[in-house]
Amino acid sequence: MARNITLIVNGVKREVEIEDNELLLDVLREKLKVKSVKAACWRGECGACTILLNGEPVKSCIVLAAEADGSEITTVEGLIKDGELSPIQRAFIENGALQCGFCTPAFTLFCHYILSTRPDITEEELREELSGIICRCGTYKQIIRAVMQAKKHYKK
Amino acid sequence: MSFGAPYLTLPSFKYVKPKTLREVLEFLAEHGEDAKIMAGGVAVIDFLKERLTEADYIVDIKGIEELGGIKYEENKGLTMGSTITLYSLRESRIIREKYSALHEALKTLDPILIHRATIGGNICEAFPWMDTVPPLLVFDAELNIISLKGKRKVKLKDFIKGTAEIDLNPDEILESIFVPEPPVNSKSKYVKVLAKSEFGVVNIACLVSNPVDPSKRIVKLAYGAASPTPTLVPQVEEIFRREAPLNKLIEEATSVVLETVSPMTDIHASEEYRRYLIDVLTRKILFELLTAD
Ligand code: FES
Ligand code: FES
Repeated sequence: MARNITLIVNGVKREVEIEDNELLLDVLREKLKVKSVKAACWRGECGACTILLNGEPVKSCIVLAAEADGSEITTVEGLIKDGELSPIQRAFIENGALQCGFCTPAFTLFCHYILSTRPDITEEELREELSGIICRCGTYKQIIRAVMQAKKHYKK
Repeated sequence: MSFGAPYLTLPSFKYVKPKTLREVLEFLAEHGEDAKIMAGGVAVIDFLKERLTEADYIVDIKGIEELGGIKYEENKGLTMGSTITLYSLRESRIIREKYSALHEALKTLDPILIHRATIGGNICEAFPWMDTVPPLLVFDAELNIISLKGKRKVKLKDFIKGTAEIDLNPDEILESIFVPEPPVNSKSKYVKVLAKSEFGVVNIACLVSNPVDPSKRIVKLAYGAASPTPTLVPQVEEIFRREAPLNKLIEEATSVVLETVSPMTDIHASEEYRRYLIDVLTRKILFELLTAD
């Protein structure tokens, strides 16, 4: 069944027609053209499709678009404020925390979430928390370094 | 329609989101046979994608007040609404302090998926390796089931009937899960051996109380991924009530466990390897908890 839903994507209200059986991932990428949300496994394993749904990290390949009606969605683009990259994005660049970049939008966004909710996270805890996203290029070490460097910006 | 490869799209269904518990139950009373309940969707959406299940209706029960929340009553126990997320449970101080085996199990899960996955979903999926089940078994969990006809209670150990088979009628839903206060002076632990996915090759939950006094000693062991359903091995309790050197009792309990479980061979591990792990890890976990001060 087709229906219209409203999504607030990075602060902008967007209306879109969807089918009940459509995935949020597909709607974001193909209908709203938010291409930073990557699709790879389509089954909740790789984490490349991670977004924040009403502030909570979720893998958008296992969310129905219909469920998200009225929700606020943040993708990595939403971290940019007044044309300025956020501290976590800068830290990723400074630490070379990527190679091909496919996992980077998801990792940057998720690391932002982690630091916003747990600014005192230790390196060991961080390793555990990052286990939901896969970096096929293996840049975990640099990602961890970037998060540790960006930490100070998130402390109140 | 969806845009992925064909097997990545979902079959068609109607998405239904009732606003109240009453509406959910009324809908299920009428369409239960053709409906699948979804909360976090982690299992349901994947099953639909893989064509392991089909449904005319997907009923979203997320956000219904009576099915959420967590409530602890001193000396009585803990009640968890079926749609509470595994993330909220992982972060719960009460669970960390009183139900450590459950906390440890939750810590092994995908830190992103648990923001959606729910305790009710984890139980109702009823796969042999579901991580919350062995800990809930050693804590003697009881489930509250509800339908328009009324409420009933069932022990978790009786609820899971087979692989992906549960004691739930099409018009019923799991309302909440109750775990009694753990026995006094008890400690619990969870171990999990991983292969290539996040699903355990063998999961073990163990609870021990009063380790030095055989007359008051309680030992409970439950296994995941070791049989077609998560398995509690109740005979262990009696063995440890006896007065005998610990190593003898551990030996005996381990052989009873090995007789009870029936591990399978799949792409993650062979039956033989699983038996080996169960053997070694059962001794280890028992020894650790029985000799801890
Ligand atoms: S595409 Fe969603 S987790 Fe891989
Ligand atoms: S940078 Fe290539 S997958 Fe992470």
